[in-house]
Amino acid sequence: MKQKEIQTLVRSVLAEAQVFDGYVIVRAQSRREWSMRLSNGRFERVATGWDSGLGVQAFTRAGAAGFATSDVLEEGVGRKLVEKAIQLAHRNEAIGAKLNLQIWDAPQVKEVGANPSQKVFGEIPLSELEEMVMTLHSRLREAFPEGVWQTSYRQAEEMWCIGRTDGTLVSFVIPRAVLMHQGTVRDNGKAQSTLIHRSGMDATVLFEEIADHVLERKAMDRAEFARFVCSAPQLPSGHYPLIIDYGLAKGLAHEAFGHAVESDHMNESVLGEEGKLRIGLRVARPGVNIIDGPLIGDWAHQPYSSNGLIRQTVTIVRDGVLVAGLGDIFSAEEAGMTVTGAGRAESYGHIPLPRMSNIRLLVDRMLPLIPSEHLMDEVKAVRETLLRHGELREGEKNLLLLGYRGGQVNPKTGDFVFQCEGIIDVSDSNLPIYQPTIFSGKILSALEAIRGGLGEGCYDAIGTCGKGGQSVPSSGGSHRYLLMDADQQVSLGGEHG
Amino acid sequence: MKLVAQLEDLLYQSQQAPKKENLRLSAWRILVHESEAVSVGIKDNSPGSVYTPPSYRQNESGEVFLVWADGTCSQAMVQLPSHNDPEYWYKELEQWRQASYEDPDAAHIPSPKPLPLVEVEDRAIHTIITENDEILFDQVKCWLTDKPSKAKMQGSIQAAWGYRHIRTSTGLTVTYQQSQFVSWFSFDSLIGGGFAKRRLINPQEQKDLWSQVVNRYESMQMEAPTVGPMTQVILAPSMTEDMFRQFIVPNFSGDRVIEGQSAFSKESFLEHTLVFHPQISLSIDPLRPLELGSYLVTAEGVPAERTVLVRDGQLQTPFLRVKDAVRWGAKPTGLPQGTAGLYLKHQAEVPWANALQGVEDGVLVLSVLGLHTQEAVSGSYSLSAPHSLRILKGQIVGRTDVKLTGNFFADLLAPTTKAARSDFNTHPYLIITTGVQTL
Repeated sequence: MKQKEIQTLVRSVLAEAQVFDGYVIVRAQSRREWSMRLSNGRFERVATGWDSGLGVQAFTRAGAAGFATSDVLEEGVGRKLVEKAIQLAHRNEAIGAKLNLQIWDAPQVKEVGANPSQKVFGEIPLSELEEMVMTLHSRLREAFPEGVWQTSYRQAEEMWCIGRTDGTLVSFVIPRAVLMHQGTVRDNGKAQSTLIHRSGMDATVLFEEIADHVLERKAMDRAEFARFVCSAPQLPSGHYPLIIDYGLAKGLAHEAFGHAVESDHMNESVLGEEGKLRIGLRVARPGVNIIDGPLIGDWAHQPYSSNGLIRQTVTIVRDGVLVAGLGDIFSAEEAGMTVTGAGRAESYGHIPLPRMSNIRLLVDRMLPLIPSEHLMDEVKAVRETLLRHGELREGEKNLLLLGYRGGQVNPKTGDFVFQCEGIIDVSDSNLPIYQPTIFSGKILSALEAIRGGLGEGCYDAIGTCGKGGQSVPSSGGSHRYLLMDADQQVSLGGEHG
Repeated sequence: MKLVAQLEDLLYQSQQAPKKENLRLSAWRILVHESEAVSVGIKDNSPGSVYTPPSYRQNESGEVFLVWADGTCSQAMVQLPSHNDPEYWYKELEQWRQASYEDPDAAHIPSPKPLPLVEVEDRAIHTIITENDEILFDQVKCWLTDKPSKAKMQGSIQAAWGYRHIRTSTGLTVTYQQSQFVSWFSFDSLIGGGFAKRRLINPQEQKDLWSQVVNRYESMQMEAPTVGPMTQVILAPSMTEDMFRQFIVPNFSGDRVIEGQSAFSKESFLEHTLVFHPQISLSIDPLRPLELGSYLVTAEGVPAERTVLVRDGQLQTPFLRVKDAVRWGAKPTGLPQGTAGLYLKHQAEVPWANALQGVEDGVLVLSVLGLHTQEAVSGSYSLSAPHSLRILKGQIVGRTDVKLTGNFFADLLAPTTKAARSDFNTHPYLIITTGVQTL
């Protein structure tokens, strides 16, 4: 479907709902995707696909909601979905649902967002993309034959249109692309894998990689590191001064902090009190800032909320103090925060939830670091910089955690866990490597432990946010590395039985 | 005209009389799902909140796999076109052709074989979808009435019913109805229970599940003594399932074994290497009536059959899709649907109530944080499990927070590992000796 067609569809569904004495939000989405996966020099899969669909969220005059969706866009589907959603909304009212009238206060928005991609979807034929990905995959296999390599490339284009009873009509296009190398290495009878990626909006990602091979070098460095990790010793569990890379810092900001300031979570958030965000609470040392907002060209870019509001860039923590949350139209007021257009959904078939886009954690106190071409050179540079600035603690391990493998948090209790690919002790000039181990603790303690940044900001750490059972692209970052003091509420590791 | 019929026409024509010779197909396969679902949720003690409203979903989509006359393949996701363009499918075919790639091992469409009779549809769910969904709303009301007064409850119930169509150029034409019922609830987002099968939960099952979760929630309100180095760890069935998802499914996937990306090599399967304790077997069983992992035929047209992956601790076979089977030199096997359809059997398995009585010093782990971040190939884990339940002298005595460190493959190999049957879940409790510390 084209942008004009999708707008026409949404207008026609809104017209069906005109007689309804309530409020309706119509979301239509058309998505195209090309993906391919290569394994050990052969194509495992090349797939094309598209899907389109419609979601109708209806509210009774009293504020009870019902929802109906379909991907069968045949004649009369709009009417059917409007009727279903209204019927369910009335039944919801009858069972004593919590009523919500906030949508009536949403500002009217009429905007058409331009497609920000440099190479529009389909401009580079699929056969050419296949050739480029095969070239990159083959080069990597030749350069690091000891590894078992899988390469994947995925590009998608999502076209959205959101219309509302108040005349709001917002349509926009989100392009995204990612190239990934996954390597498995073995040593000493043990196996480790590593996964790295390069993301952007479109096939430009491939052209850039063909030109500079940045991802290839990273893949080789990470595979080499993984090989050392295979036979590395385990770290005794404990509380250590830490240096975390920006991927882990993104994880900390996203999992351990961002979710706790989303407006629908305030009743169960460690940063909420009696359902309200604890604005004014000191959560970190002075000089620590956390910002969330869409960045053009980024994996998680989304300029409008899935409720048809403009997405704002929000400073959540300024100078160590909690100053704002991520609020959507439905729960921001109740959570004591401003509506920031934070509602995002996986697709037309999902209810939007308040979510992050690109979240970055920045510190005023930054030590300069010139990025190195190779991983271990950079680790040496980290050690030298820390020594030069008197930041290495005598007689204790200073552990550099590399490679974000994901994490999880319980926003109610403030417990978090993260996993990395491996650990290096930079206090030792031999730079000994240790097995990855759990990095866990309390989120407020982890924030309080941040004492500085190393290097300029890097915001391209990507992931998929699984909140509410949906899968929505997320991203973010920090300085190239973050420095954290040892804290009794933040620990590394456990011991085998 | 239904999607499956449109696709059949298109692919049959492209095989027999294509518009262009380069669009000639030598073989093809179609999978289409048609489904309708109704759901209702609870958020923060409120039924049908703005984030969990009663919902209706309709879906008709699928995928095609094509083998062109030159032997190359294409795969595509498909949906009914949104407008009346007579050239629509022809344009799609051209794009699929453009996306073709060489994969000789995949270019094989199995011949039809007799299908087993497997019960995968509960007509009561069809009635909910088409006539009366009051039962779902009643259940939500009942939960909210009966819940512990101080608990903040979240929950969801979903009933789904639909058709599954499989067509192949070798003559397989199968359409059958299937249903699904999934319900879950939790208190304070700390403790919960769930049910997922192809049939409705019956009142006794609902009652027993509710009692178990409420009792555990009440135990959670009491602080318990911390764990010691000799404390046994008991993985609740949902935790066992999570461990399977992280460590078993990827390492028993045929493509990963063949490509050297599994914990186990092809040779280790051929040599029947002992990897689990001899009392443990692991199988895929898609024939069990009304289980979520049950089906009649795979998406590739292979009839459902039981497959033993590990017998008496020894590797037998990974699960093999058609392409993997060609490369392996064996028949395709049964397939798990995620973790559904996977069954672990311990020869000395006992009911959970009996096993609990025998635990002198243990901790029941209901959930962990960060399991999905663990290295699947190594089997190693390092996890935090806040809000676990302490067991002393056969009784659950309260809550404790622990950290687990170990290796799941080592756990399954250890002679000290035992299993206990759950009344609500097809996965067992696993009683293991692993690294456990106070969090």
